[in-house]
Amino acid sequence: MFKEGMLALVGQGFIETIYMTVISTVLAYVIGLPLGLILVVTDKDGIHPISWLNKLLGLIVNFFRSVPFLILLIALMPFTKAIVGTVIGSKAAIVGLWVAATPFVARMVESSLKEVEVGVIEAAQSMGASPFQIMTKVLLPEAKPSLLVGAAISITTILGYSAMAGIVGAGGLGAIAINYGYYRGQNDIMYVMVVLLAIIVLVFQELGMRISKHTDRRL
Amino acid sequence: MSEKDTMIRLEGIKKRFRTKAGELEVLHGVNADIKKGEVFGIIGLSGAGKSTLVRCINLLERPTAGKVWLDGVELTALPEKELREQRRHMGMIFQQFHLLMQRTALENVCFPMEISGVPKAQAKTKALELLELVGLSDRTDSYPAQLSGGQKQRVAIARALATEPKVLLCDEATSALDPNTTAGVLSLLKDINERLGITIVVITHEMSVIQEICDRVAIIDGGLIAEEGSVEEIFRAPKTKIGQELVMHEGSNREAYTGKLPYCYRLVFNGGKENEPVLGEMMIETTGVVNILAANTRTIDGQDFGQMVVQFPEEKELREKMIQYLRERGVVVEEVEYV
Repeated sequence: MFKEGMLALVGQGFIETIYMTVISTVLAYVIGLPLGLILVVTDKDGIHPISWLNKLLGLIVNFFRSVPFLILLIALMPFTKAIVGTVIGSKAAIVGLWVAATPFVARMVESSLKEVEVGVIEAAQSMGASPFQIMTKVLLPEAKPSLLVGAAISITTILGYSAMAGIVGAGGLGAIAINYGYYRGQNDIMYVMVVLLAIIVLVFQELGMRISKHTDRRL
Repeated sequence: MSEKDTMIRLEGIKKRFRTKAGELEVLHGVNADIKKGEVFGIIGLSGAGKSTLVRCINLLERPTAGKVWLDGVELTALPEKELREQRRHMGMIFQQFHLLMQRTALENVCFPMEISGVPKAQAKTKALELLELVGLSDRTDSYPAQLSGGQKQRVAIARALATEPKVLLCDEATSALDPNTTAGVLSLLKDINERLGITIVVITHEMSVIQEICDRVAIIDGGLIAEEGSVEEIFRAPKTKIGQELVMHEGSNREAYTGKLPYCYRLVFNGGKENEPVLGEMMIETTGVVNILAANTRTIDGQDFGQMVVQFPEEKELREKMIQYLRERGVVVEEVEYV
């Protein structure tokens, strides 16, 4: 089934997939975490309501979330070129993944933070905590288990996106599945890639859940 | 009362909420003076506005109109930052405790000190002291999920005391606890009031809580203070209908009674009298019987009080004879509406 060099190819694809997924997840959180925080804090029921900012950010997030990933990837090409100097390969795909994943992450973070009991936030306010102290000392630490579960969901979603990025020559297991499996009709290779991708998803998901559960003090 | 004896002054507090059904005014102009060092109770049925009122004291809820003073400082006039400083003089505990679930008991008590910038080591020493005060020295490293309701409330009390506040606000602090645990928490609060001299404001719907620890009480009904006075006064002779209702039914299961019963009287047996079977003797003497609707005994400020709600016979002559018999023996008899 596997021709010579196939194993090395799969190995490289595996590394590319992990590389793209992890880097773009991290980047997505760099923007998405503060963005999610701002969405919660500036909400009309939040600790520091700023209606116009909340609406504006909500609109931007919804806009980017509504564009299908493949179209976003192509539409972003000029932006991608300006940032990483190329529109093909893993590096270019990371830019697209990052832009696509950030609003997703922001919404995940937002929903995790909204799980924090209002009463706990009020208790902190009654002690004279500032909005910033509430963010860093109440919202984020109290939502940590939920944020970790959210991170596991985010990373597996981004992994799914990264497989699609194979279309723009991004490399990775998804690209191998498309190039060898689909275009050349080697179904066996496609199935192997699908199984491999599924295993990675399972591992990330399980890992995230376990860390979350292990560090949650409510249990 | 002179200005400097007042810890909290509420002046014309109004609070309106905007709801889908339109504007809703919950407080219609509440005035109150809470003295330094006293335990002040605010009692009312659910929906009376008592929780909103206590939240107006530390401005968790900003009054739509009116002024709030804390120890001579007008809180309602302060900008946000200075208000936060002032809030450190007021600890607050809640019905649902509201502890940080991802922090240990010790870390929870350290939390307000972290916020006000107390050095870590100093905060820890203080927190350990406070946990000892509330009787939880052995649970410092437990997380809230590992503690019982009473223990959680003790942690919350220790946390509220961490910034050495002048005032402790208790919003239905014992309503989620069983009677035994409630008694423990109440005696802890009383102890804190006596030992540390902290002014305590207690919000509750249970008359028993008021009788247990309060010096003075305000009855709130429909967004206004219906009556106010020493606990003894209110208990002995509530002037308003709502006062009578709270004293008789303890604000609970009033839905259980339907319709109005005729010839109902409230009897109050003052200090010691309940050891003599006054009521029994009266029934033998007058050869009439009464129907006992409710009865209980309490100790307020070291004095025993027994109270009963009874239904006298329909026959007027007999009824008056009975009432006279009781009054002659020092029993307070007043006609009430028992609904």
